Amino acid sequence: MSKYIKTIVMAAVAVLAVAFPFYTGAYPQSIAQSVLTYMILAVSWDMLLRTGQISFGIAGFFGIGSYAAVLSMLYLNLPPMLTILIGGIIAGAIAGLLGIAVLRLRGMYFAIVTLAVAEIFRIIMTNLKGFTGGPEGELLPQLIFQGNPYLTYYLMFGMAVLTIIISEIFLRSRVHYALTAIRNDEIVARSSGVNIFKYLVIIFIVTSVIQGMTGGINAQTYGFVTPESSFSLDYTLLPLAMALLGGIYGTMGPVVGALLLGIVSEYLKLYIPYGHLVIYGIIVVIVILYMPQGIVGLAARIRKAGARNE
Amino acid sequence: MSKLVLQSLTKRFGGLVAVNGVDLEMTEGEILGIIGPNGAGKTTLINLISGIHVPTSGNVFFDGKDISTFPAHERSKMGIARTFQLIHPLENLTALQNVMIGFMFAQGMNQKDAGVAAQKTCESLKLEHVERDVGQLTILETKKMEIAKTLACGPKVLFLDEVMAGLNSDETKDLIETVKRIAQEHNLAIGVVEHVMGVIKMLTARVIVLDAGEIIAQGPYNEVSQKPEVIKAYLGGEA
Repeated sequence: MSKYIKTIVMAAVAVLAVAFPFYTGAYPQSIAQSVLTYMILAVSWDMLLRTGQISFGIAGFFGIGSYAAVLSMLYLNLPPMLTILIGGIIAGAIAGLLGIAVLRLRGMYFAIVTLAVAEIFRIIMTNLKGFTGGPEGELLPQLIFQGNPYLTYYLMFGMAVLTIIISEIFLRSRVHYALTAIRNDEIVARSSGVNIFKYLVIIFIVTSVIQGMTGGINAQTYGFVTPESSFSLDYTLLPLAMALLGGIYGTMGPVVGALLLGIVSEYLKLYIPYGHLVIYGIIVVIVILYMPQGIVGLAARIRKAGARNE
Repeated sequence: MSKLVLQSLTKRFGGLVAVNGVDLEMTEGEILGIIGPNGAGKTTLINLISGIHVPTSGNVFFDGKDISTFPAHERSKMGIARTFQLIHPLENLTALQNVMIGFMFAQGMNQKDAGVAAQKTCESLKLEHVERDVGQLTILETKKMEIAKTLACGPKVLFLDEVMAGLNSDETKDLIETVKRIAQEHNLAIGVVEHVMGVIKMLTARVIVLDAGEIIAQGPYNEVSQKPEVIKAYLGGEA
């Protein structure tokens, strides 16, 4: 029964999301695209978190993807869709090379190094003036799909669907068992035959490709990159807060968290232009203190309690 | 031929010699007791064999092959399995899923086959409640699950690191029978670390006594337990 309800709800959400641009204006549509962007980043961050590794490097791979997409279009004259793919490939390649060194670290050390890596790439982009346009960044001569907001929305929507599908595949396959074992206890995982380094590198690459492609789509949508905007710390912190709010270790949590926080923060921005991040912070603190499993975890607990009372 | 051979195996941690020049052979179907006072190097010895630690010097041979530098997951695939002194059930997974991991990763099964195989293994150990989250198992069930997890790796050599700890006498008897049975059924070489000497007496044909990382005595339990150097290691002072 509940399976039917779930399917119906999901179908309704999908229809709503697809039809969204047709019954709203340009402003809600641009918010929706930004929510989708953060949603993808939140889900991809959670995918790595399932190994127990906390990354603060989302903005780094997002920015690398943005720059790769814009520069490959400017210098090589490639079609925009291809440059988005290149954004993903380059982010993934850098993640692979870095991962071999960095994925030997754990916990706080890994987190700090990923943060530093993101910062290093921002500084490189700022200083390679002749190639990247330096602090001013680069502008694209034209936008993807001639700036058609319907199509850019659908492109980001497609990317979100792809990310959710990958996340669900990982949750339903043997990857899930490997990652859960690694997160619980690496020595136990190794003693059960799990090649932990292989899984860590694979997940790090996959999530970085997703983040890089998302950066590519974003850059192609708005037609520019700058070190400050493309590597903005927002792209690291907001997805992290969204995943924590919604609930970690699953697809649903980051999706719900991104919808809620994304919409709430846009609304707050209108009323308290600079103060909205304060409220944002308060929400995150309350969630971490009182609902460590997020909204989805809380809902599951209520459901279980309800089932017991019946 | 011996399944597992250790040759002057040594592990140093800084200035501390945890395992010092250990020579040992284990054959299939044999249950070996590994005893010694706290800090004697029993767990370190298992860590060296299972690949958690790399030896400072000396060698580990498995099936005649030198595996001293093989990573732990490779050794697990070859058939070296172990439990942990501090048990680590994998949370957020059911008991059955805990057992499935070895079948999937050490034996390379797909998810479906691993589920079927794990179910069988749990049944053979009379482990019920396999659909429960690991946090809801009794101590005996948890211990059996830990053994099931090692069997899931398709072991040829198995080390049980204090699996009886925390059990009452009925539960201990139950688990002793279980260990004896799996040793026969799977033709395993089993190494048992245990502080309860009654368990060692009932289970093992041969024991080694470790003290300060060295084997100070070996032989049948009844002989070894009478040796003055063993009594001295356990009680200290002049025996």
